[in-house]
Amino acid sequence: MSQEDTSKKEKKAAMKKLRAARKKWIVKASVRVKVQKKALKAIKGHLEKGAATVPKVAGVTKMPADEVLWYMAALKKYGQIVEAEKDGGYFRYALSEDTTQEAS
Amino acid sequence: MNSILKTDFDVLVVGGGIAGLQTALDLGDQDYKVAVVEKDATIGGKMIRLSKVFPTLDCASCITTPKMASAAHHDNITLFTYCDVNSLDRVGQTVTADVTQRPRYVDPNKCIGCRQCEYHCPVYVSDAEQGGFSATKAISIPFSNAIPQIAVMDVENCMLCGKCEKVCPTHAIDYFQEPEQFVITAKTAVLTTGFELTPVSNKHQYGMGEIPNVIDSMQMERLLAPHGPYNRVLRPSDGMEPDSIAYVQCAGSRDKSMGVSYCSRVCCMYAIKQTMLLSGSLPLADITVYYMDIRAFGKGYEQFYQNAKAMGIEFVKGKVAKISEGENGGVELHYESQDGEGVVTANHDLVVLSLGMVPGWNPEGICPVSADSDLFVKTIRPKLSPTLTDMEGVFVAGAAAGPKDIVDTITESGAAAVEAAKYMVALERSRKAAA
Repeated sequence: MSQEDTSKKEKKAAMKKLRAARKKWIVKASVRVKVQKKALKAIKGHLEKGAATVPKVAGVTKMPADEVLWYMAALKKYGQIVEAEKDGGYFRYALSEDTTQEAS
Repeated sequence: MNSILKTDFDVLVVGGGIAGLQTALDLGDQDYKVAVVEKDATIGGKMIRLSKVFPTLDCASCITTPKMASAAHHDNITLFTYCDVNSLDRVGQTVTADVTQRPRYVDPNKCIGCRQCEYHCPVYVSDAEQGGFSATKAISIPFSNAIPQIAVMDVENCMLCGKCEKVCPTHAIDYFQEPEQFVITAKTAVLTTGFELTPVSNKHQYGMGEIPNVIDSMQMERLLAPHGPYNRVLRPSDGMEPDSIAYVQCAGSRDKSMGVSYCSRVCCMYAIKQTMLLSGSLPLADITVYYMDIRAFGKGYEQFYQNAKAMGIEFVKGKVAKISEGENGGVELHYESQDGEGVVTANHDLVVLSLGMVPGWNPEGICPVSADSDLFVKTIRPKLSPTLTDMEGVFVAGAAAGPKDIVDTITESGAAAVEAAKYMVALERSRKAAA
């Protein structure tokens, strides 16, 4: 067995041990990611149809508006959506060009 | 056998906010070797998190970032970030601090700050640096102008998926990192541990942080900042641009029910600053400040207040007694009008609590320096030598000693640097005399 194989095996065993030690956190984070993925999919899915305001997205996705805004702020930060034109007291948000291309 | 690393400096500065950085720079420029120990993952303290400063309305980041960079690149200054001071004491002529380096789970010598780990991490977590209004990732760099630019992993929200490790171009991810203890010895120490805002949860009449669209002043700083969570001022409950914004003054000061009977000195001015910035970003919005007294104590501050009034900011004298949830995301303020109207209820789209300052650090059990009745570090000659503590060779500067604004903090930091230098010269003299 080469030295590389041995260190890989050791790392695998150490990771297994670490996963066991952090099991509680890992389970919690995994549940959170599942919920987040669903929420992000719903938000982006609605925005694929066109730019929309936070209350509009919240109404369609049946999510609380503050939660939708939280996700949209994060999507904007990571360049997945952009601010579009104003609609009354609200701004519309649209998928960024990169995200639109990825989706298509 | 585990050996604890020991490093020796001339001065130990506890806290890497603007007071700590100014003290370190003033001493480093005099060729003293300075160690700065900071609890956060970045230096810069509260000031780097502000939008602008009063009364000049200079960009806070534009003033703070050069100081942060100067300290980081200074030959005589060593920064220890993401560290806890476990003990700080004087033994003979030496100050000794026992410090723990918290694990970042990222090798600081390998991380190049490229953020690939952050971009690829699938876990979104609330971004405290943006007032909780937006998300960051379970591994991230605190903010764009953080120093050092080293990612930090939030292990409690990490699912060990391995994505960050895979994409890291320098193999900096280290899931197995452990806290490391080390000892710093120095001739003298300066405490620059700053402040925290009064906890909003202490005041049930103000909703204890549960009423939507009632935010604190630091959260408003983030909404006003160019790199804020929304890049504009929006109502956090639904993203509406607020038409009516209110400030509740003395929300965390001069209030015995909150255990803070003193005036925090800066709340009037930072609220006025924020109202001026708001009237610039939302020119059509009605902005009202509910106050007990306006304390405009510094140079140019009274003029600043008069300018705000001239800009159309409404100042209503009256202490807000209660805040409740209104209709459609609105907020109701209940206060007693001093114009004889009795108890008045006012509706606003967004309410900002001008919270006061409480100490950022409690020396109890860590350092034998005394705290005052307000729990800030006690200064033994507050008039003539405001940086002297009751511990020999240990000085204090900035908000660690009591609420103060940035101007006074900078001035005091310079004074603390001089006192520390003076102390070291005297030490050297006595050493030579003894030899």
